[in-house]
Amino acid sequence: MDLSLILDVDNLTVGPRAHGTPPILDGISFRLHTSEIFGIYAESGGGKTVLSRALADWLPDSLTYRAGRVLFAGHDTLKKTSTSTFKVGRDIAYIGSKPQSSLDPTMPVGVQIAEKLHSVRPEWNPKECRERVIQLLGEVRIPSPAERYYEYPSKFSGGMMQRAMIVDAICAEPAVLIADNITQPLDVTIAAQIVALLHDLCLRHKMATIYLTSSLPILGQFGKRTAVLHHGRFVEQQPFEQLIAAPQTEAARSAIDSVPRIWSAGEGPPVRRHAEGEAPLMRVAGVHRTYRQRKRGTFNTYRNIQAVRGVTLDIMPRENFGIVGESGCGKSTLTRMLAWLETPDTGTLVLGGTDLAKLSPRELIRKRNEFQLLLQDPYTALPPRTTVGRMIEESLRIRGGIPRKEMRTKVTAAMAEVGLPAKLYDALPNALSTGERQRISIARALILDPKLLILDETLSAIDQREQSKLIDLFSRLQAKNDLTYVFISHDLAMVRKVCTRIAVMYLGEMVEIADNRDLFFDPQHPYTKALLSAAPTLEEKPFNAADFLLEGEPPSPIDIPPGCSFASRCPKAFGRCRVETPRLREHQPGRFAACHLLDSAEAETAAA
Amino acid sequence: MLILEFLVKRILQGFLIIGITSFIIFTLLRVVPGDPVRLIVGGMAPPDVVEKVATKMGLRDPIVVQYGRYMVGLLQGDLGQSYLRPRSGMVAAGGQYVDPTKSDMAPVTDLILERLPVTLQLGGVALVFALLISFPVGIAGGLRQNGWPNTLAFAVQSLFVSIPNFWLAIVLILFLSVKLNWLPALGYQGFSYVILPALVLSVEIAPFIIRTLTTSFGEVMQAPFIDEARVRGLSRRRIVYAHALRNAAVPLVNLLGIQLSTLIGGVLVIEYIFDYPGLGNLTVVSVVGRDFPVIQGIAITTSAVFVFINIIVDLVAYLIDPRVEL
Ligand SMILES: Nc1ncnc2c1ncn2[C@@H]1O[C@H](COP(=O)(O)OP(=O)(O)O)[C@@H](O)[C@H]1O
Ligand code: SF4
Ligand SMILES: [Mg+2]
Repeated sequence: MDLSLILDVDNLTVGPRAHGTPPILDGISFRLHTSEIFGIYAESGGGKTVLSRALADWLPDSLTYRAGRVLFAGHDTLKKTSTSTFKVGRDIAYIGSKPQSSLDPTMPVGVQIAEKLHSVRPEWNPKECRERVIQLLGEVRIPSPAERYYEYPSKFSGGMMQRAMIVDAICAEPAVLIADNITQPLDVTIAAQIVALLHDLCLRHKMATIYLTSSLPILGQFGKRTAVLHHGRFVEQQPFEQLIAAPQTEAARSAIDSVPRIWSAGEGPPVRRHAEGEAPLMRVAGVHRTYRQRKRGTFNTYRNIQAVRGVTLDIMPRENFGIVGESGCGKSTLTRMLAWLETPDTGTLVLGGTDLAKLSPRELIRKRNEFQLLLQDPYTALPPRTTVGRMIEESLRIRGGIPRKEMRTKVTAAMAEVGLPAKLYDALPNALSTGERQRISIARALILDPKLLILDETLSAIDQREQSKLIDLFSRLQAKNDLTYVFISHDLAMVRKVCTRIAVMYLGEMVEIADNRDLFFDPQHPYTKALLSAAPTLEEKPFNAADFLLEGEPPSPIDIPPGCSFASRCPKAFGRCRVETPRLREHQPGRFAACHLLDSAEAETAAA
Repeated sequence: MLILEFLVKRILQGFLIIGITSFIIFTLLRVVPGDPVRLIVGGMAPPDVVEKVATKMGLRDPIVVQYGRYMVGLLQGDLGQSYLRPRSGMVAAGGQYVDPTKSDMAPVTDLILERLPVTLQLGGVALVFALLISFPVGIAGGLRQNGWPNTLAFAVQSLFVSIPNFWLAIVLILFLSVKLNWLPALGYQGFSYVILPALVLSVEIAPFIIRTLTTSFGEVMQAPFIDEARVRGLSRRRIVYAHALRNAAVPLVNLLGIQLSTLIGGVLVIEYIFDYPGLGNLTVVSVVGRDFPVIQGIAITTSAVFVFINIIVDLVAYLIDPRVEL
């Protein structure tokens, strides 16, 4: 017998309890040896979670094993015998994709991990368990682990919580670790850290690891055996490089094709139609927004959450302006200010020469037609049984002043413009696809003849085909109606595809603003480089990605350190960065960045 | 430190609430028709005697002055004297003349202090009974949302809600006390006298607890962290009792704070039925006899109890779930 063989899965078939339903997993077989890493790709809904649960003897009540065996070190884990020594949580451990809801919210994180450890390893006493957990929390690079041990789940960010869940999984020294889409909810720079960390831990703790993901590029980090799970079967199994270079099946090919491309994207960014002597459509100058939040349990001590800290930018007519950044960087706050749903504490917004703060309420209502925020999901804000036509009409009604009769013609015209068939006028939106719903949102905005459309994460959650159709629609509308777009997104590939100019945001500030090509092929700011390095693509990157793997998490917007806000994570930080805040400056024509390194580089060129 | 700050803040708030309540009660009682002096001196007393007594008692001063005087007394623990009850504890008969300005009337503070513990005992025992009934039924019902325990929980709830308390009281007295002679029924001469009224009261409270427990328990059992606890290797017992119960308890504790007013209303009726000498009974008698100082004193005491219990409830909720805002 092969001694290092730890998991032997044979013809595993799982399906709903109801008879006559097709199986979800259909004859899965594989073997896993000690210390081996096995990557499994499946698109979302492809059966990753069901497979993980089936392996850990943890099927939900609605599902059942229909055939097959799972042998752990020679023992059949699915047969309940009193002599079985196999224990879930100790021998096989699981990490899932929802770290924030994996632990009891009413108890400290460390305490719960130690509780688990003591339950599966009763031979270790509580003190040992506690010490081991603290030591491991340190090992996964959670700062001040002894204090964090006593903090509650709600105090942990997504990335921190996922680290804690890794500790939870590995603390009992499992022989097999199942990682089910563990980076799915995380920002790219954090996800990259977690993957690197997990890889390192697997090797050091000699755990056999099954890494399931819906992001093919991540499996490249491990480079080992990779399987494609499609319709419940392993349709292909190869080392990663070979799989990418020579996929054998249609499923693998389409998986590779659906990975977004940034640098090798065929179509270049669209070009803005210039005009002589243009003025910016929107000028954002020195905009700040700070939220005051009462400190817990105090009468009148407040803390200031600085969400947006001095953003200045010009948006030119007919431009596709992109704003990218990771969660919590202030994108949404900035969006609400651009749409004038929230007013800046200081700073001004000038639209087409008019300072929005100076308008009377009545003038403002009229002015609002010119800039529209495209809601991500307007359906929740409207009564459930509102028809499509009525929904689009609604935005006209709110503005008022249009006779009933004309409304219908205007609405049908707008529907035609966004490619919604007229017969949908009386339909209810719940039967519509995401793409069609997006079109309703666009029609709602368009009917008011806007000049500027603000789109918050609009194109991120829809599939590639629908996305390109909408992108086409946007550029058609732009050509026809002289539209300007602002796209706010965390999705670099989307921004690369549609935006002419892009601003990168970090901790409430713009760290770099540049044209599409410049930003992606010659990024100036270390954070931009880090962001691009972490982007999950299968391409060669135009710079050495390994140089820009970030450590740690962004500081909280409550206590922003002096100096450069990126200094705590910047791989290039030097003395000056911690004392002096770099200003956003135009180092080369049309390319702005806020970094001291660029100043020094400039000084050198000047001196030479 | 957070807890200390919380306590200081809430106690100050509590004083404010009690102050406002007492002022409202004070004003209302003076505005309602019916001159209490008439009651005190008896129907046959001549008008000049009425006026004399009233002036002597300060009942002809402006309300604010009266209130101020009352509050000064309150701060010294003096809630005034009953109009009707002499010190002996006997209710003065309407016709006979007792001089209420003299000190032979019972101080309200004494009356209340004598009865408050008896009532608190009733409330406490009733709550314990209710929890004892509700926990097994509610938890089982929450654990098996689609099984017979859930049906049982629902049945118990509906049954309890539909039983009128006076009927239950009579039936219990008839069987447990008259027929079987197990428990004493009326009055109060020791702990065993609490049991019957507490049982009736607990039947009134239990349905709310059962319902909250079944729903919140059912919800918590669906939570991802309960599901994942299994694959993390925790035993079923730990999952249910250490985690699910703890999470389900938060809504329950809050409910108890809110249901307190129902509980107080229930105490009133049940004490009267069982002739149980607590605050509820005193209230009924005092309202009937227009014994204003006593009514006022009870109102203030009740609001203080209310404030106090709500502080405890919030504190307990915080200790169970630290995310709760203090
Ligand atoms: N408890 C369940 N009962 C019935 N079908 C399920 C259950 N869980 C998942 N499925 C189905 O199994 C398939 C695979 O789901 P899942 O494993 O969650 O995919 P993934 O984790 O790859 O996103 C989906 O079609 C899903 O609808
Ligand atoms: S200023 Fe310093 S810390 Fe900030 S990005 Fe530049 S090198 Fe990094
Ligand atoms: Mg999944």
